[in-house]
Amino acid sequence: MCTRCFEVSRRSLLIGGGAAAAALTTGIAEARVLPRDMVPLVGPGYKPTDKDEQGIWQLMDRAEEEISGSNLLINDPKLTGYLKDLIGKVGGPAAKDFRIYLAHIPDFNAMMFPTGFAVVFSGLLLRMRNEAQLAGVIAHESGHFLRRHMIRSWRDERRKTDIFAIAAMAAGVGGAAGGVYLGDYVQLAQLGTILSLFSYSRAMEAEADAMGVRLLAENGYQPLEMATVWEQLIGEETASARYRRKRRRRGSLFDTHPSPDSRLADLRISAAEVTEAGKAYDNGRERYLAEIASIRPMMLDDQVKLNDPGASQYLIETLARDGWNGLLRYYEGEVWRLRNRHGDDARAALSYAAAVAYPDAPADAWRWHGISLMKAGRSAEAKSAFGRYLTMKPDASDAAWVRQVIG
Amino acid sequence: MNHFTRLALACASGLALSACSSLGTGEYGYSSYALVRVRQVNVGDGSLTVTPPRPYNRHRAFLWSDVRDVEDWTLNGPYLDGISFVSGLKGGAYLIRQSKRADQQVPKFRSDMTPPEIVAMLESLYRVKGGAVEFRTLSLQPRPFLGTNGFQLDYEHLDGDELWRKGRAVGAVIDGKLYLILFDAARSHYYGTILPDFESIVASAQLRR
Amino acid sequence: MRKWGLALALAAAVPMSACVQTRQFADVQFTPPQGDYKLLVLRPDVSVGSLTTGGMVEPRADWTEQARTNIITALQTQQGGRGGKLHILERRSQLTGVSEQEVADFERLFYAVGQSIVIHKYLGDYLPTKRGKGLEYTLGEDAVRLGQRTGYDYALFLHAEDSVASGGRVALGVLGLAGCIVGFCAPNIGGAAQLDYAGLVDLKTGEVVWFNVVSASSQVPGIAFGDLRSPQGAAQMVDRLLNRMKPGDAIRRARVKS
Repeated sequence: MCTRCFEVSRRSLLIGGGAAAAALTTGIAEARVLPRDMVPLVGPGYKPTDKDEQGIWQLMDRAEEEISGSNLLINDPKLTGYLKDLIGKVGGPAAKDFRIYLAHIPDFNAMMFPTGFAVVFSGLLLRMRNEAQLAGVIAHESGHFLRRHMIRSWRDERRKTDIFAIAAMAAGVGGAAGGVYLGDYVQLAQLGTILSLFSYSRAMEAEADAMGVRLLAENGYQPLEMATVWEQLIGEETASARYRRKRRRRGSLFDTHPSPDSRLADLRISAAEVTEAGKAYDNGRERYLAEIASIRPMMLDDQVKLNDPGASQYLIETLARDGWNGLLRYYEGEVWRLRNRHGDDARAALSYAAAVAYPDAPADAWRWHGISLMKAGRSAEAKSAFGRYLTMKPDASDAAWVRQVIG
Repeated sequence: MNHFTRLALACASGLALSACSSLGTGEYGYSSYALVRVRQVNVGDGSLTVTPPRPYNRHRAFLWSDVRDVEDWTLNGPYLDGISFVSGLKGGAYLIRQSKRADQQVPKFRSDMTPPEIVAMLESLYRVKGGAVEFRTLSLQPRPFLGTNGFQLDYEHLDGDELWRKGRAVGAVIDGKLYLILFDAARSHYYGTILPDFESIVASAQLRR
Repeated sequence: MRKWGLALALAAAVPMSACVQTRQFADVQFTPPQGDYKLLVLRPDVSVGSLTTGGMVEPRADWTEQARTNIITALQTQQGGRGGKLHILERRSQLTGVSEQEVADFERLFYAVGQSIVIHKYLGDYLPTKRGKGLEYTLGEDAVRLGQRTGYDYALFLHAEDSVASGGRVALGVLGLAGCIVGFCAPNIGGAAQLDYAGLVDLKTGEVVWFNVVSASSQVPGIAFGDLRSPQGAAQMVDRLLNRMKPGDAIRRARVKS
């Protein structure tokens, strides 16, 4: 029954949240929204005058207060400084003054609010391969409020629910909770739940895409990277579902973004449209990888430990397109080990062995390498691997156990 | 193990109320908890016995949602504290029931698991089922348990309700089956206060042959 | 489980007919505070929204501000009448001597304790070891430390939630039970609904010495039932919640005997 309730905070973010939620639609193709038509409808210093919009802003303010005090934040000033600069560039006219909160949550999401703050999840940073991709997601999100989608969708939703109460509440599990007692600020402040307020129509998503592409190009980023983000996300969902022998999850990204193909196609055309001949566009890969290097091991850890082998494997392979290293080989091994199917321990052993050959192999790789060797009966090599582990991490949490095994 | 049942009971409880009677049925009628008295009791599938130092509350198993080898106790309610028993979990079995088609899954127990692998299984349980966004292993050390070489794990985790919880587990693999007693409680006040109870229960634990 | 789950689970208890229910639990030895005491009221969580026909609650900033002001005034009057000194914390950073993080942790622990109290005392899923024993819940040493550093004797947590039917609303059918199976317990909302609870923590011991839930609803739309937007409505809610603080069982028995 309510065993699914805990998933509300995780998956619903993907469903009801910043990257998502389109209303029920027919299959009719819509005309592509042109990037050049996308101009911001709000400028710096905007304050709402309508009562319902004021109400929503007040909720956002209170939500920000909760978020800023949350235990779930990563407070690394270098990292948040980097994100702030980025948001200032592509977040629209007022975004230079935005506050930015980086949340330690392994899901893909980023949210921007007209009241002046943004929240980025660590799961998003893991999945981006370069700065242009991250900028693209941020630009897309800011598109939603620059085009006043939030208040528009709220008003649409309100009108629709006058007729269809149950459907409104059932629109996304997160939305269900959000739709009933919105007066609960603490509830809203749970990172991401606030987004259940907003479900964007396909037209709005198209506008946000177009605005995003335009903002990217204007700032010298490769606009095609926005389409690549989509491809990666879809690839991940497919890999995850395929592993579990399912076609697609109910409430998966597919359901909330009908016909992703047409959206991808439109993105590619729009990207081409805003690309000026002769101008250099950057994807900022090296810079991005350098900036997130400090939290990358933690993000990989969070992801792999969720034990969604299809998705994790896909992610690691995608990141490895920029080159394998000890860290990625180690986590590849972890995916096998947790997957735990017939033959996976052998696969994991191979990955650990590969990982420790690199200079950047984390200490934990040596411990798991040791355990694999131990199980294979190669005790001398196992002892040496454990010894290496303890040298790298003399006060490891399981040092007592390892020392006992070495004897 | 105790986390995911809490919501089930919260929702189930909502159904139990009748119209405009006093708020809540009070403390009579059916509760999903049964009393554990201060004497030797069988836990889980019965292969393990323990003696609590004071009365405890045992969560009654729902046949269709709980694993027979796992049993949960609490003093103040599962949000604040819990002691769980795993008695003779066989290789190939899972700690909790889950759909084979769920995207994120808790890995199954294997008879040849070393303590670090059991720790990893517990960590996944907390992350996947318990909604923990952070999990820290504080220490893993050898500890005799049930007359054999076992292990003791100390850990902390931050959950979706932004509350830090702390835990200790003592376990061993005997004849390829997992025996584990796990204590998890809010880090503020509850962990420290109830830890002596846990230690007393572990000391009293015996295998029933 | 988050607070919304709590509110929803409680709301599922709200029946179809108009009625007000309050139920208090107190520590056996509890005597309502009198005389010269210092009470800290933590960030009253107040919201008033407009209930649309579809069952969505539309947040209304103006109503919420009105309600907050009224509740705070009512609190000050009510507690002033008892002789205590009251400080209502509006932001976490307003408590001198204690960091924002500590206030946040304090709130979170209280939510976990509060939820436990609601589930095991109010919703009928009782814990056999606590049966008939009044309120045996504590926030522990951190609460005592907070009391020592700030000089307060008691801390009060308050949650007040009101939704008022907008014009033309028709009572919806029973969504509640169906909702419970799906994964959340949708309340059976008639016209207006009010869901308020409060917990009092004795900062000398860290124990929750008193807890009360008020839940009111009216099936007829348009009837302002203890409407928090009006000073009278707020005073009424505060009164229901706090004024009728009954002493604990042991004290009552002692009084009866004497």
